Amino acid sequence: MSVKIEVIEGGTPHNTILAAGLVAAIVGIYLTYVNVIMNTTAFAVFGGLGAVAALVWGSHAVKRLASYGIGTGVPSMGMIAFGSGVIGMLLATKFGLAAPIAAIIIGAILGAIFGGISYYILKMHIPVMIQSMTELAIVGALTLMGFCAMVTGRFTFDILAKGTTAGIFGAVPDYSMSLIGGSIITVTFILGAIAIQHPFNACLGPSWKQDRMLWLAVECGFLSMIGLAVISFAFLGFAGVVLNLVVAGVGWFYAFAQYIMLSKRDAAAWLDMKPIVEPEGGH
Amino acid sequence: MIEMSLIIIALIAILIGGVLVGFGVHFVPVGGAPAAMGQAPGIATGVAMLAAGAGLAGLFGGALASPLGIAVALAAGGAGGGLMMAITCTMVNVIYVYGMGIPAASGKVLKDPITGDSQKEYKSQGTEGHGLPFISYVGGVIGGIFGGLGGTLIYYELLQVYTAALPAMLGADATAITAVAVSLAGIFAIGIFLVNSVLAAYNITGTIEGPHDPKFKRFPRAIVASAIASLVCGIVAILIVVV
Repeated sequence: MSVKIEVIEGGTPHNTILAAGLVAAIVGIYLTYVNVIMNTTAFAVFGGLGAVAALVWGSHAVKRLASYGIGTGVPSMGMIAFGSGVIGMLLATKFGLAAPIAAIIIGAILGAIFGGISYYILKMHIPVMIQSMTELAIVGALTLMGFCAMVTGRFTFDILAKGTTAGIFGAVPDYSMSLIGGSIITVTFILGAIAIQHPFNACLGPSWKQDRMLWLAVECGFLSMIGLAVISFAFLGFAGVVLNLVVAGVGWFYAFAQYIMLSKRDAAAWLDMKPIVEPEGGH
Repeated sequence: MIEMSLIIIALIAILIGGVLVGFGVHFVPVGGAPAAMGQAPGIATGVAMLAAGAGLAGLFGGALASPLGIAVALAAGGAGGGLMMAITCTMVNVIYVYGMGIPAASGKVLKDPITGDSQKEYKSQGTEGHGLPFISYVGGVIGGIFGGLGGTLIYYELLQVYTAALPAMLGADATAITAVAVSLAGIFAIGIFLVNSVLAAYNITGTIEGPHDPKFKRFPRAIVASAIASLVCGIVAILIVVV
């Protein structure tokens, strides 16, 4: 156990990706607050972009932990990232404007506890265990918050739990029409959990290349965004929905084209393999 | 505000539920990639997928039955999880036997502890066994029942807390917030369920044959881990209506 089967060679160092993902996610989520200031919904899309940034960081964190040969499969890491992330994120939404910061703090506490449990109680003696679990929980919480901000345009609990429906005398509050009451949070959960674990699960192996995996992470993030942009029809005004759909669609197409290009590059590298030489005196 | 007794009961129930989930994972024959190639016994996927498939089936079953009271809800949850695992195990063996053409044989024991069938003769050389022996099937069903019970217990107690606290918090009457309470309890139960099942998966390092596997003896430390993790998750889940 805990034998490192792959090392990260070259490419961008993990800490750089961590810092960039964290900052971009925070900035993206906070930009959705412009919706409140300017009374619009057009800035909702930045929540999704922040979530994509968090997913890129998360996929690299998954790679860093999973390359130790953890034995449980890569998808389990996506599940624990979002399992702990959703718990932290929902509590964080109660902190109003400080919600994204609270999501980082609560996610970090939860992740550190689960990492500590894995390291000290379950005897998974992997050097990056506690750090990676902490990162994954933060990524889970930030991604969910970003996606929720993209769907509803807000990131606070009162808005996420309260929807409106058309009544005889105008709009009336209807809690079952909200993001949480309508269980959209569950769809968001699984869209994020798949997007975080798929890149490394698809790209792992001796031909693993960092840029190819990260572009796949971007692609998965935008693909989830397309689904959520469709859901945002129920919550946002016209401008917000159109921006969501266009940005998600264009972003997905560009990232997918990049990923296919890099796949072809790396596939060509394998075509140069020499045929296996028969041993002397073999059959 | 909600009464302290309700919170304490809910925390204890979440702790028990989480421990049941973590303990239940040890019964489920998780085979992983080697099982998919017929080189190890068990269901050919990881714990995360089995937990999401079988355990959540129980949780949803229990959630649907929750208006009928805790006893019916728990029974429905356990039955749902066990039934889902029974169907999964049956179909897994149908595919192994008739699709891949391999018999069920355990690599960890010489004789099946329940039926007494000899295993060694059926085990191919170079493998750790293959297919799903009877003991693994029984283990899978027991694991499904534990998972469904645990998930439902977490959901049911969280639902009680949210139904009591949300009307005052959101300033609406009890019927209006039912959807929010159900959804919150559901997503928290899913989160706690997945955290516990993945931590238990770390304990068995990904694969296990069932209750006869030597790795099964590691379960005490998974119980400690699940208890701590569930308590922490439970506190966070209840804080949302207290903060």
